[in-house]
Amino acid sequence: MLLSKKKKQKLDPDILALTEIVGAKSILHYKEDLLSYDCDGFTIHKAMPKAVIFPKNTEEVAAAVKYCADRSIPFLARGAGTGLSGGAIPLNNEVIISLVKMKHLLEVDYENRQAVVQPGFVNLKLTNSISHKGYYYAPDPSSQYVCTIGGNVAENAGGAHCLKYGVTTNHILGLEVVLPDGEIIEISNNGVLDMPGYDLLGILTGSEGTLGIVTKIIVRILKNPEAKKTVLAYFDNVEDGSHAVSDIISAGIIPAALEMMDQTAIEGVEKGAFPVGHPDDIEALLLIEVDGIAEGIEEQIEQILTVCRNRNVREVKVARDEEERGRWWANRKTGFGAMGAISPDYLVQDGVIPRSKLPEVLERIRSISDEYGLRIANIFHAGDGNLHPLILFDSRIEGETGKALKAGTACLKACADAGGSITGEHGVGIEKKEEMRFIFSDEEIDAQTAIRDVFNPNNLLNQGKLFPTPSRCMDIKKVIKETAITK
Amino acid sequence: MSVKEEELTNNSPPCASNSLSNYLWDDHPDENKWADCVHCGMCLESCPTYLETGQEQHSPRGRVHLIKSVAEGKLEVNEQFMDPVFQCLDCRACTTACPADVDVGGLIEEARGQVRQAMPLTGLKGVVSSFFLKGLFPHPTRLQAAGGLLKFYQKSGLQKAVRSTGALRIMPDHLADMEAIMPEIKQSVHKKYKNVDVIPAKGSSKAQVAMLKGCIMDVMFSDINESTINVLTYNGNDVTLPKNQTCCGALHIHAGDRETGKKLAKQNIEAFQDADKVVVNAAGCGCALKEYPELFRNDPEWHEKAEVFSEKIEDISKYLYDTGYIKPQSSINKTITYHDACHLAHGQGVRHEPRQLINDIPGVNYIEQPNADTCCGSAGIYNITNPEMASAVLERKMENVPEDVEMISMGNPGCMLQMAMGVQKYGRGGKVVHTVQLLDWAYQEDEKKGLGNKAASVKE
Repeated sequence: MLLSKKKKQKLDPDILALTEIVGAKSILHYKEDLLSYDCDGFTIHKAMPKAVIFPKNTEEVAAAVKYCADRSIPFLARGAGTGLSGGAIPLNNEVIISLVKMKHLLEVDYENRQAVVQPGFVNLKLTNSISHKGYYYAPDPSSQYVCTIGGNVAENAGGAHCLKYGVTTNHILGLEVVLPDGEIIEISNNGVLDMPGYDLLGILTGSEGTLGIVTKIIVRILKNPEAKKTVLAYFDNVEDGSHAVSDIISAGIIPAALEMMDQTAIEGVEKGAFPVGHPDDIEALLLIEVDGIAEGIEEQIEQILTVCRNRNVREVKVARDEEERGRWWANRKTGFGAMGAISPDYLVQDGVIPRSKLPEVLERIRSISDEYGLRIANIFHAGDGNLHPLILFDSRIEGETGKALKAGTACLKACADAGGSITGEHGVGIEKKEEMRFIFSDEEIDAQTAIRDVFNPNNLLNQGKLFPTPSRCMDIKKVIKETAITK
Repeated sequence: MSVKEEELTNNSPPCASNSLSNYLWDDHPDENKWADCVHCGMCLESCPTYLETGQEQHSPRGRVHLIKSVAEGKLEVNEQFMDPVFQCLDCRACTTACPADVDVGGLIEEARGQVRQAMPLTGLKGVVSSFFLKGLFPHPTRLQAAGGLLKFYQKSGLQKAVRSTGALRIMPDHLADMEAIMPEIKQSVHKKYKNVDVIPAKGSSKAQVAMLKGCIMDVMFSDINESTINVLTYNGNDVTLPKNQTCCGALHIHAGDRETGKKLAKQNIEAFQDADKVVVNAAGCGCALKEYPELFRNDPEWHEKAEVFSEKIEDISKYLYDTGYIKPQSSINKTITYHDACHLAHGQGVRHEPRQLINDIPGVNYIEQPNADTCCGSAGIYNITNPEMASAVLERKMENVPEDVEMISMGNPGCMLQMAMGVQKYGRGGKVVHTVQLLDWAYQEDEKKGLGNKAASVKE
């Protein structure tokens, strides 16, 4: 019905050529359709793509990439678009190569504990597809209900359970990649943990879509732990909570997860869709999970309870059953989105700090909050020192977006100053590229862009992400403003 | 001219702004609703149309983004905007998934109101839509007459003739599919209880409830209305069928005709004024009735009345569950699965109650189906307006129905038609039933065997 009208408009030859490659049903190029692709989970910068294509297989990806590369058309890959650092935002009017139609589980090899998935396969679906055999996929970003494994590889995604099991890179055994010139390559360590030669899997994982487009992924799958117990602890003050975190680790326990939320974060999750009934007057809560062989779990739990009590815990309890455990986790995992219930917009930061510095960094964040007049909630993978300050703001208020960005930068500076880093798992993207200077010198940044140039010499793939652009950063900001449609 | 203007000003609710950027009409999408959305994307995998297309503009957050963009002046209310807004099934699965409780359904319905005013339906679509939505559903007598025609079609041998001559082949596929599963038309409760004020409880009476007859329900599925009355009276409820009640307006609101929706809402609010409890056996209707306050959000007077009214609304399964019901003693020896109607599970949060009812019937071998709460594609009249997407969604749904079930139980007439179509099309076994029917059948057996409610209540 709409086609007749569409046909009347004159089509760009590039659009025609890309349509030729992926088919008419797998391309979007009208403004109204493209508008939903002007940002990902990071909504502060917006820019319009030239087109969005939905290839169904590696060959279509390669053909589209080759077409773009030959004509110097910028392009980038996109998964579910839940990234929090703007890695999939088309700053340069890119052709977006959406991988959501390549969403199949291709193979599961229980014997060798590995699975082969397409990049658009949703993270949690992998666990759901193999759980009947007692297996699971360990990296569990909070967005695992919707985010794709391809996106996880690009961002080297972490998650609550990465404290014990490691982040995405520790679970990748092989990749099929379309290079920025359209060539298809396969890299695999064939299950050998220390392959001779450079660690190409390591370079590609976490490269934020700047080195190639992943079209097939071999991942490690794990056997479900025999037993699992979860503890919830409420603290009247943050100091006690932070010390409890350090004490648990120093007691020699490696929890599967060790999460913390502060008072503002608790307010958000309790107003959100999955409230648990946390008290509103505590300064911090800890969610602690231990897993492993059944024997010994009870003892660890006892130790954890003792540590909490020694640190003046107000209330501490063990999940009665899987249902209660599920509710606690749903409450925590939807924490970012739940901020919508207490604020129209939020900016999430992703700093890493040494655990021991937690109280002082939180204090610093509190003063940043006062300084900018913006509320800041903290959700924290406390066990591995990965802090997520959520800066709450209202973009409809003139100037508040700018303030939020500055407050975010200040939080990252606080993390870097405490001897930490500017990102733990969300990636650098657009959001933190300037802050890369907090932890890298110009030489170090140059060394890294030299690596990028090997794979992506013309910088057509996901340009303007990950690294600061020395003299041009002001220009880019101008471009962002201009390309964001305001008409 | 001046008269018209006066009319317009009189009609506009007191505190509504009349336009918002590119939304040119009153009752435009509510800014506070999209302010809750932070674009996190947790809704994506819950959305049947996103799963089907993989396209952002056909996802909940994409739609919210577009709706917001119109208000920001980035987009106009045109056909390209209409497509995603009307492709939405209004199934509310996103509302369940959303960490911030964004009311996507409300936004979609408000946006549809704008689209319909900007681009009134023309041609055949306009005629058909106005025939059903304005000419038929709001008028119980006309509906009954239409029901009579259908009945004639079935009983006179015409149906047989049509089916055997292949006349169906000239109909569009989806309409032919629907004809094939059309239930047998029986006498409506509207007619049957025309002169009855109260249908008395069997045994001692413990409460009085009013019942919504519904429009499709009473014409196509009057036996379910009959079962609902039986189950209610069996459990000690006096049942009334207030005379002035009318169509709930859900289909109108879903189609963007909010004005007719409001008229019907007002009529129902008044019709049920004297009732303390209104029991509904159609999930879509129940959800719409509960959401009347949203419809009148710019009209304080009616908003207040709607709030009071919506408190009275209860789905039959939840009502029985909450007030207690007699456990049947006769068995139904069948393998049964349950399908969550979207407007029951996502719309009203009723999930556990109907399952409990089914499991309380002796002999039932209950099997939970995977993704029981994903939409079947019926979505009001969506399967008529968007047949392609509806059948794709139905196909996904049927993949989840366990192969060896003998009955699929649910709580919404629209789903029943759609699922019956699925059963027929994909050659699955399974008779499609309403949850109260199961209970009613077991009760009827009990009565035959003299295990009636009296014996049971004595036990209590």
